[in-house]
Amino acid sequence: MPSKDKATIAVSSSDQQLVLSSLEPEQLARLKKHLIPRRHLKGIEKFVMWSLRIYLLFMMVVVVYQVWASLH
Amino acid sequence: MNLGPLSRLTPQTAPQEDVVITHEDVDRAHDRVRVSAARAQRGFFSRFRLLWLLVGPGILVMLGENDGPSMISYAATGARFGIGFFIPFVILTFCMAIVVQEMTMRLGSATHRGHAELIFDRFGPFWGWFSMIDLGIGNFLTLITEFIAIRAGLGFFGVPPWAAVGSALVFLCLAVMMHRYWTWERTLLAFAIFNLVFVPVALLTHPNWHSVGSALVTWKPLPGGLTQDTLIIVLADIGATVTPWMLFFQQSATVDKGLTTKDIHLGRIDTVVGAALAAIAAVATILATAPLFAHHITAENLQGAEFAQALQPLIGRFGAALFALGIVEAGMVASVTISISSAYAFGEVARRPHSLNLPVTQGKAFYSVLFLCAATAGAIVLIPGLPLVYVVLLVNVVAVLAMPPALVFLFMLANDREVMGDLVSPRWANMLATSVVVFLTLAGLLFGISVIAPNVFAFLGGK
Repeated sequence: MPSKDKATIAVSSSDQQLVLSSLEPEQLARLKKHLIPRRHLKGIEKFVMWSLRIYLLFMMVVVVYQVWASLH
Repeated sequence: MNLGPLSRLTPQTAPQEDVVITHEDVDRAHDRVRVSAARAQRGFFSRFRLLWLLVGPGILVMLGENDGPSMISYAATGARFGIGFFIPFVILTFCMAIVVQEMTMRLGSATHRGHAELIFDRFGPFWGWFSMIDLGIGNFLTLITEFIAIRAGLGFFGVPPWAAVGSALVFLCLAVMMHRYWTWERTLLAFAIFNLVFVPVALLTHPNWHSVGSALVTWKPLPGGLTQDTLIIVLADIGATVTPWMLFFQQSATVDKGLTTKDIHLGRIDTVVGAALAAIAAVATILATAPLFAHHITAENLQGAEFAQALQPLIGRFGAALFALGIVEAGMVASVTISISSAYAFGEVARRPHSLNLPVTQGKAFYSVLFLCAATAGAIVLIPGLPLVYVVLLVNVVAVLAMPPALVFLFMLANDREVMGDLVSPRWANMLATSVVVFLTLAGLLFGISVIAPNVFAFLGGK
């Protein structure tokens, strides 16, 4: 039986019935602690993600340069 | 219990007596009971009531993104370029926002997980932390600009900066201390609708509707042509409409509200209505400041309140006060939504309780992050000599640059059949989303070229 903490103490049995009848299982706050399995990234997906990461870093340097140029 | 698409990937609920129920679940269940009751009834008023119960995240995210820096960007646009290219362009950016935000609503409804949580789980902590760093930096910089807008707007009424920042923090406290998502959402919606105050301000300027119609059809004129300044405004206007915090906020708010796959259709309406309202306010702001362009009043260094002061001879004290109040409202609503977006993401990644249904005693980490972010950003705005206008425009530019990597995560999640089941994005939505990523990346690259090699624009026919 899972341990109960102060978040669960005041929940009545009628509330419990209400929750179980109106929410989907994955909507329960405590069940969200379960991790969703990791997905395997394909080569093309890694390539796109790394490309955009490099793009972002490069553009940040450009923005810093733009700020520096404007201030001088 | 009903099962969502994610049920195949997560352990199923234990027998009823072993299920741990929290107050957060009970509050959400009460909201869902009302939705189920409205859905069970027939007739126009029941349909409308169902829509009323389900709208919220979409309207809030869109009007929330019409934030302080966004309204200042639109005001700068109208003052520098008048009625022309930017009217249809801003409407186009809101169409892009609909494409993107619909995916977050669908993801939240199908998985009941926040955006940060899904990225960490599906792509692992390496990519998860990259995403969180982008969000954290972006949100914090944007929060600073919200306080800049609040300070500038209240400055019009003679409120000193410390009092402006203090009142914004009090507003933030009052907004989130309701401990009930539903109450918070409805209260903030009421404030957010005030964003439309820019419409009467625009009407006070007696816009030339023929010019507006012509601009919508021809996308012209673009005074000055393609220059680095034009590009900064282009990027600032895109950044005023699509930013990373919106992805995280709408998905988390959709989850916190308790939307399910049955609600996706009305969630789409919520998103489209939000975008339409926000686009009306944005275009109205451009129209409101367009007379400054027509009267050749320089707007290079105007801040929120100074736009109002510059407009005062043209639209009177009342109109100018409305404009300043609009800037204040934009900053206040966004300071709440952006702080909450950060707190949701923190809670999802740290696996701590994260819901606006939580009492403070049960959500200490959630509320602490929320207030700490806002208070620090507010304190920075009080530093004397900070180049406020420049910070505002740069923050919007940075938001645009950070969007393509964020959109790729969203795109991959929305097409992840293991997570989404049959709710994966259709082909036409993928084509639109890909177009948005390509458009934003090209806009960023064009900005980069304009900074590194400004002469290229002369070669391309610009200035």
